This record gives sequence, C-alpha cells and structure tokens, in this order.
Amino acid sequence: MDDLIRELKEKVIETLNLDGMTPEDIDDHAPLFGAEGLGLDSIDVLELLILLEKNYGIRLASPQEGRKVFQSFAVIADYVAANRTK
Amino acid sequence: MRVIRTVNIPSGTDLVALYREQMEEYPKFFKMDILCKLGFLGTELLLKSDPDRFVPREDRAVLTFSRFGCECDDRHYSGTIDDYPSPALFVYTLPNIVSGEIAIRNRYEGETAAFIIEKYDFERIRSIVGDVFQDRKTGSAIVAWIDCRTETEWECQVSLVEK
Repeated sequence: MDDLIRELKEKVIETLNLDGMTPEDIDDHAPLFGAEGLGLDSIDVLELLILLEKNYGIRLASPQEGRKVFQSFAVIADYVAANRTK
Repeated sequence: MRVIRTVNIPSGTDLVALYREQMEEYPKFFKMDILCKLGFLGTELLLKSDPDRFVPREDRAVLTFSRFGCECDDRHYSGTIDDYPSPALFVYTLPNIVSGEIAIRNRYEGETAAFIIEKYDFERIRSIVGDVFQDRKTGSAIVAWIDCRTETEWECQVSLVEK
C-alpha cells in the first residue's frame, strides 16, 4: 500500500503542477482540501477525477463522490486498490 | 504618500527554498504560478514583522504592476492543452490572481487590482496608487512591480505604501 500511496502522490504533484513539492511533504492521512491540508479546492477535484480515470480506470459518478474518496492519500489508495480496472 | 519599506526578490532566486526558509506551511504556495509565488513571497518578507497581520481590514489595497502579466503561465498552459486543458493551470492565466492571493492570505478586504503597463514607470505607478487613495477608505497599499520574462528572469519589488 505504501508504494501505491507514493505513486498517487507523485501523480497528483505532477497533475496539479505542485512545483517544488515532494511526496515526503505530504502526510498520508492529512486532508487534501482546506487550509489545514494540502490546500486543494473544487477545481482540483476535476483534475483528480480525470487522474483516477486515466491511470486506474476508475470513473466516479460526481465531484461529490470524489470528495468522499479524496479525503487523504491513505483513503484514495484504499479506494484505488479495491476498485481499479487497470 | 510615502513608501514605508520595500523588498526585492532577485532574479533567479530559488523560490521554493525561500518559502521553506521563511514561512510556516502554506501548501497552496506550491500550486501558484511564478507570478503569484513572487508576489506572495515578496509580501511575506515585507510583512513578516508586522504585529497587526491577519486582522481583517478594508483599508489596505493590493496593486500589482507588470509588463509581461502572466505570459509565462500562458505559455506553459498553451503547451499542455493538446492533452487536456487543465483547470489547475488555467486558473493562473490571469494576471490579477496574484493580488487576490495576497489579499486572501492577509485577510485584506479592500481594493485589489493588476495593471499591465509598457515598462517600469515610477511616476505612472505613483499616479495610479494616488488615484486609489482618493476613495476615502484606502489608507495604505501593497504595491508591487512583478515582471516575469521567464521562470528564472524577473523583476520583483514589493512595497508597503501609506497615504
């Protein structure tokens, strides 16, 4: 699971153009949204939805569903491991 | 009108290293384009010893000036849209985002604006800032000349100015 978490962090850093950030900067359990976490916002949810579909064949029904999945990298990794089609 | 203090960020400075050295965690920094990073860090350096920071206020404006605007990010964005148009990149293809980022961080609720001018022109900038001070509400302003030719070549001067 640690490898998948790291892979997800690397893909998110690349996709969202988080220039200068490294996987080590991100706590596995930190929230992705809001000032307390990674600082992502609703625009970024769209990017994350596309990322999951392109890389893991996972299609979430809506940004609202995405919000549940995108709580932290640990939660995303659990979801990807259970639902990936590629 | 008087300039209280000014900060310069020399061209080519490692902005991520400067962020790590000078700031507590503010993850949104990593999302910003080069224009925003410069304006944001310049303001951080300018205000870091200010005891009244982060108290919401309507009497401080944020006014940025540049020649190239957000052309750096425009180029970056246009080079990526063959794959798909990324909203996270697109959001920075506006030169006024930097004034908003500074206002949000510092809880300023006054005037914010970004001006594109042909070249650095102190008198013209002073005239525009003077016009903003005519509104009876604004008593001070963050005034920044942030001009990015490339991601490693820029001029960045951020000042605190009082009426």
